[in-house]
Amino acid sequence: MPVTIDAALCTLQEEQARLKMRLQELQQQRSKLRASPKNKALFPVPEVPLVFRGHTRQGRSVSRSLVSNMKICCPLPGGSALVTFDDPKVAEQVLQQLEHKIDMEEFRLRVQVQPLRLPTVTTIQVCSKPASHSVLVSGFPAGLKLTEEELLDKLEIFFGKARNGGGDVETRELLQGNVMLGFAEEEVAQHLCRIGQFSVPLGRQQVPLRVSPYVSGEIRKAEIRFQSASHSVLVLNIPDVLDAQELHDVLEIHFQKPTRGGGEVAALAVVPPGQRGLAVFTSESA
Amino acid sequence: MEADEDNKKPACKKSQPDTEFMKDEQSEGLIDEIKRENMQLNEEIKKLEAELQADIRDFQIKENVPETKMKFISVEYPEDDSQFLNISCSFQVSSQIPYELQKGQALITFEKEEVAQNVIMMEKHNVQLEDVIVELTAKPVPLDSGVRFQVHVEISKMKINVSGIPDELPEEQMRDKLELSFCKSRNGGGEVESVDYDKPSGSAIITFVEAGVADKILKKKDYPLYINQKCYRVVVSPYIKRHLQKYQMFSGVSRRTVLLTGMEDIQIDEEIVEDFVNIHFQRKKNGGGEVDVVKCSLDQPYVAYFEEAI
Repeated sequence: MPVTIDAALCTLQEEQARLKMRLQELQQQRSKLRASPKNKALFPVPEVPLVFRGHTRQGRSVSRSLVSNMKICCPLPGGSALVTFDDPKVAEQVLQQLEHKIDMEEFRLRVQVQPLRLPTVTTIQVCSKPASHSVLVSGFPAGLKLTEEELLDKLEIFFGKARNGGGDVETRELLQGNVMLGFAEEEVAQHLCRIGQFSVPLGRQQVPLRVSPYVSGEIRKAEIRFQSASHSVLVLNIPDVLDAQELHDVLEIHFQKPTRGGGEVAALAVVPPGQRGLAVFTSESA
Repeated sequence: MEADEDNKKPACKKSQPDTEFMKDEQSEGLIDEIKRENMQLNEEIKKLEAELQADIRDFQIKENVPETKMKFISVEYPEDDSQFLNISCSFQVSSQIPYELQKGQALITFEKEEVAQNVIMMEKHNVQLEDVIVELTAKPVPLDSGVRFQVHVEISKMKINVSGIPDELPEEQMRDKLELSFCKSRNGGGEVESVDYDKPSGSAIITFVEAGVADKILKKKDYPLYINQKCYRVVVSPYIKRHLQKYQMFSGVSRRTVLLTGMEDIQIDEEIVEDFVNIHFQRKKNGGGEVDVVKCSLDQPYVAYFEEAI
């Protein structure tokens, strides 16, 4: 009996020590917060090397973000084709006529043309939101020879175990150089943050990693507008009388003819009937 | 309390049988007290955590996305059918961290990190600016935090949003009326797969069997809904899903750009000073190296924007 009570006492005293340390940590954070610059993160966030390239602005500092790597994927129906011209004026001219008649030796091909409508986001509003069920795992050394999948698996295994202080992992995401793990239970996430430092087996080495709170974001607004692809024309309702290669050639010849309002064709892709295609557009690199 | 001091690894002593009873009682009392204290500590911790959570600088990004010229790459034929259900648009957003360059300060970006670090380590530099020699101090640039994330938008080719549905009929019946109206091809409709009707808000999501019907209907802003003998115009709009991926807060650290101070009393033209600074720090014998950019603030403060190094 006395051994059990003493053991219980030991555990409680250890717990109190841990709690007191945690409280002190939080109190320090709070006083740092009162004294800190406007947008400095409270808890450790990964460092990203930044560089000044000469972009300045007079007057007050206004928050700015860079939008890059825009990609649009547009499904195309079967029996269609996408013709992309060098000159956008040619595309405009071709679109003046809704129906095009393509003359062939034995018959005439009747097709419809229309612009390809692409969605663009005109305004974006995002705000941060603390993710109480998630944590950020950071401190990965350079030169870790693991694939994304392997790394995420190993982390999920380690942090999924109760004996490591973890619990059921629901979501996982590789961010640039760090990992976000989302747990089923909020307490697990908080507990892991309290412990803070872990030695995790990743392949052959034990790697010291840091666990800190994860702040997520949500979209408040994303306004979308449709605009037509400037250089391209969608050809529809192509009768199923030619095979893909023949059709490709016939269309190319037709749309190159200046007499038909056409011009230099940069690219032409055919989607055979019964199939579907995905037109991929990306933002032109700066 | 005494117990605090022994908190490392308290030696749990074995007690004598005759004092066992007294010890037990004392220990139990102690245990209760510690339990209470721990509970209180836990409460305080939870309160502070909540307070700090609420204080987390609310990072707001409000951007007007500049019109981006899109370039056709290719047509792909993926196996995965789900790719044809939506038109998708995705892009990356990263904060450009501002640094307020005060009067008398300059920023200099070197091509190589080692050079920048060396310049900082040397700290004091005597630089010739036209006809005077000024002592400049080199420091790292203190930077704020920012965020970066990916935005994914999917515009459905199979579903549409309907709103402004009058509250005239019971749920089941209205659902049927919606299906009947939206499958009429003479109005631009097509075969309906399902109707998700929300009576309280007067809205619905209609899913069609074929792609292309949604596009046709959305050419107009409204659509005719027939209820008994009357025709109502309900509002139709695209069914759009938006979400973020890889959201990450980061702390900016400048490895190649250095802050130079000490030019508060200079009466020379900004551009000329920039040239002199550039020349000075290009020279290896001055501890410098290849210089990318120099920006100086003498007359007025500037805001300098830092971007990701890669």
